[in-house]
Amino acid sequence: MTALRWIVFAIAVLAMNFPVISTLITSFKSEAEIAGNPSWWIEAPTLANYQGIFAIADRFDILHYLWNSFASSILGAGLSLLLAFPAAYAMVRFETGQKWLLPLVANLRAIPLIVFAIPLYLVYARVGLLDTELGLALILCIVNLPLVLVLLAASLRDLPAELDEAARVDGASTFGLLWRIVLPLATPALATTMVLGFVYAWNEFLFALMLTTRNAVTTTVGASFFFAASGGGVRWGTAAAVMVLSVLPPMVLGLLLYRRIGQSLAAGAVKG
Amino acid sequence: MTIARLASALLAACALSSAAQAEVTVLGWPGGPEESALREAANAYNAKGDVAEADKVELIFFNRDGFWDKLQTDLAAGSGEFDLNLLATYAIGRYAPFMEPVMLPDTAPQVFGEKVLTTMQFDGAQYGVPTDLSLHFMYFRKDLIDQLLSDPAWQERYKEISAEKLGQAMTPVRPDQWTWNDYQATTLFFTKSVNPDSPTRYGTVLQMKNLLFNIMVWHSTVRSNGGDWMDEEGNITVDSAAFREGLELYKNLYDEGTTPKDSLTYEFAEANAAFGSGQVATMLQWNAAFPDLNDPAKAPTVAGKIGTVAPPAGEAGRFTHIHGLGLGLNKAAQNKEGAVKFLNWLATAEAMQVYAKAGGAPALTAQALQPIAEQRPDLAQLGDYAGQYGFVMNGGASAKALSVYELQAEQFTGYWAGQKSLDEALAATAEGMAGLLKK
Amino acid sequence: MQCALARDGRILVAPLTIFLLAMLGLPLVVDLIYSVSAVEFATILSPEFVGLANYASALSSESFWRAAWFSLRFGLLCATAQVLIGLFLAIFLEPLLARRPWLMAFLMLPMMVAPALVGLMYRLVLHEFVGVVPWFMFTYVGDSPSFLGPDNAFKTLVVVEVLQWTPFALLILYSAYVSIPADVREAAAIDGAGTWRRLVSIDLPLMGPAIGATFFIRFIDSFRVFDNVYTLTGAGAGGSTATMSIWVYEAFFKSGDIGRAVAASMLLLAASWLVLSVVHRLSQRRAGASA
Repeated sequence: MTALRWIVFAIAVLAMNFPVISTLITSFKSEAEIAGNPSWWIEAPTLANYQGIFAIADRFDILHYLWNSFASSILGAGLSLLLAFPAAYAMVRFETGQKWLLPLVANLRAIPLIVFAIPLYLVYARVGLLDTELGLALILCIVNLPLVLVLLAASLRDLPAELDEAARVDGASTFGLLWRIVLPLATPALATTMVLGFVYAWNEFLFALMLTTRNAVTTTVGASFFFAASGGGVRWGTAAAVMVLSVLPPMVLGLLLYRRIGQSLAAGAVKG
Repeated sequence: MTIARLASALLAACALSSAAQAEVTVLGWPGGPEESALREAANAYNAKGDVAEADKVELIFFNRDGFWDKLQTDLAAGSGEFDLNLLATYAIGRYAPFMEPVMLPDTAPQVFGEKVLTTMQFDGAQYGVPTDLSLHFMYFRKDLIDQLLSDPAWQERYKEISAEKLGQAMTPVRPDQWTWNDYQATTLFFTKSVNPDSPTRYGTVLQMKNLLFNIMVWHSTVRSNGGDWMDEEGNITVDSAAFREGLELYKNLYDEGTTPKDSLTYEFAEANAAFGSGQVATMLQWNAAFPDLNDPAKAPTVAGKIGTVAPPAGEAGRFTHIHGLGLGLNKAAQNKEGAVKFLNWLATAEAMQVYAKAGGAPALTAQALQPIAEQRPDLAQLGDYAGQYGFVMNGGASAKALSVYELQAEQFTGYWAGQKSLDEALAATAEGMAGLLKK
Repeated sequence: MQCALARDGRILVAPLTIFLLAMLGLPLVVDLIYSVSAVEFATILSPEFVGLANYASALSSESFWRAAWFSLRFGLLCATAQVLIGLFLAIFLEPLLARRPWLMAFLMLPMMVAPALVGLMYRLVLHEFVGVVPWFMFTYVGDSPSFLGPDNAFKTLVVVEVLQWTPFALLILYSAYVSIPADVREAAAIDGAGTWRRLVSIDLPLMGPAIGATFFIRFIDSFRVFDNVYTLTGAGAGGSTATMSIWVYEAFFKSGDIGRAVAASMLLLAASWLVLSVVHRLSQRRAGASA
């Protein structure tokens, strides 16, 4: 029975990670080998594709795309924490907006984002936020808010209220209390939420596609450029290498922090 | 609060990276020979001694997928991101409101010829420099067709297959004499599921993705049978024998399995990948594909074995869809003066020779082409074909031309995929076009 | 004191509220205006009131309904498959995962990958001349189907979506499964209930809320899908793989039909609101019944 469980586990892992594994393998084949040998076996492993990416950096600058992804994701996730943390505290302790604001934000998760995409595009075009990391980050913040707010509210609810009361007796203001007592206690929750928000933001595609053309193109959008990087046909090897680089950061985070991410996702799903 | 500090540092970095762009920015057509050619031309221009530092040219490219849509929204939003941008004959009407007409140097007609300059004109005004002319070739594998034309056993088999599938016993003829029937018989012969002895898996590769450019390629079948978008009074004429024959031809080829099964998701790049793999005998494709497919480093299997002719003939003769690509001036350009200087240089014979040598496909007068005729013999062929076989559909340069192509792409791919009947697709197309093209 | 706290609370909530008003409220107003206007890119600042014509045009469009039907089928099918497979894996693999929690990391990995990139990866993996799947089929089966052709595109897309997001269902259902108190199960075991009986009469009912929540979340995400479908097949032949989100995107960008696209997205918003309130009602009733 245990053997069967292992087999099922192996099949599940292989099947679910199938595209990533195949792409990883392809990225180590030469262009000629890709055309002649589509199997999982690599006859002559090479790093040429990875070098190839940087050889055409003047046309498609992968480092620039990665930096854009990084900057807008950090900004987007950080901003959502910054907005959600005080709000979550007020909701949990003073019940401010618990009735309407919390459900409203939590339900955003269920609304197709495309609804807001068009007006935001038109507004952005007016105010000059189109194709900027900041503009993208503001939207990534919205994308993240539902999960971030629900998770932070849940973890703040678990903190003992006696601590607050003790501090109040000592004469601390709400803000001092939040800064000196609650924030340190909530740091682990904030860190996990930040990681999760970063991963979500990194993987976002729709808004990145609509709102960027050059300066703020992120790697999810930029990767598709490499499919047409040569006139005569698809450069599969280069495209594969780019995709590997693009999925690496969130995957590494996922492998390192799987336990915390798993707990947060489960909590966010049940409570939201 | 380290997060806040990090965030503000990032903000500052973002602000910096988008500042300070004094040069002339050019938005080009990405991913093809046009791109490498424009690159070389820009390098040559920037290396000239009399180009001021602030007028140096910087190129930007984004994805081909959705290119015109994004360009449209950027132009409409008054984006100053680029000073010069790509224009195409079929898109001029749509973009003209956001572009500024230009005065090309008096010598321009001697470089391009008046006819080619008109591919960049709208309502009588010149909107750009015509850098490339695009048309379609019938690509074929010379080695395979040669054997077909000389091997009696193959010819016998060809006869059997054409008798069985097309109802008439046919003899192979040279590609430059093909009718669509000959093309169809040849593709059937070279399809493994029809002819198990075929050296290739497929007889042809059709680009049938729901994408406007694919419809342009297909239009050559329509025009060769005398079809057009509308007649001179402006009545829509797509529900005609010519459209039906062309649509049915693609549908038959697809249903018979002469083209890869996923052809309904194929466009330029996928088709080239299929042809380059050596598993495909013929392909109706843009002229721009030739240099890469014929390059031994990029396509070792087929390089040196490729022949190109004009698309096959129908009742009305032999035709190829043509359009020009070029560069024009954005109304919201931030460096208009510098941009015009670059355009003026681009319209000289010197610039176009650099451009052509680097793989571009400008249509030039014999006089302008002469110094590089040896390196680019195909450009003479390009000019010839455009003159002999080129056509633009009636309405194909109007403000709504792109939307018409989009509409046809959706309806016709729906028919090819078996989503709707031929009558439904044609009726919906005619109705939509009547709305789009009404005066 | 109470009054001061309420004021502090409002101050703490204010930034979030202002941000939401600016980023969602304003777009919503723009949405509402354009949805009842005739507007093109060239006349973006001077919309002309046309009443409900845009709504009528969206609702009477055959492709709109096809996209709605596609999304609905896609959402229901994917959510069902993900919950079933996730449930099976959670329960079947529990003995392994309980002893070696790190195994979960590999099962969670697909969730870390951008769906847009997954779509691109399948373009490589399924390509007839360079992909490993068609190669395998040609080599060992003799023929390879058209994975993205009109007959199979829907199935292929469902498989792609299910493979990537079953981990989410697995994760949540697994944590619900392991949080069932051991004594409840032991009591049942003492009563002589077999493995199946225990599963049906104890585990599944206790996991009910988690299963419901998982199904709902997966349904919503699959219903509004854009990324992987867009990069893999786009709108498809004749719009056959256009989801609701893709339909709105194309109406806006490709056809420049701003009014119609915006009207359709307002309809989408109304539909999600409807679904949400139904789900809310249901979960309240359940909570009321169990209390």
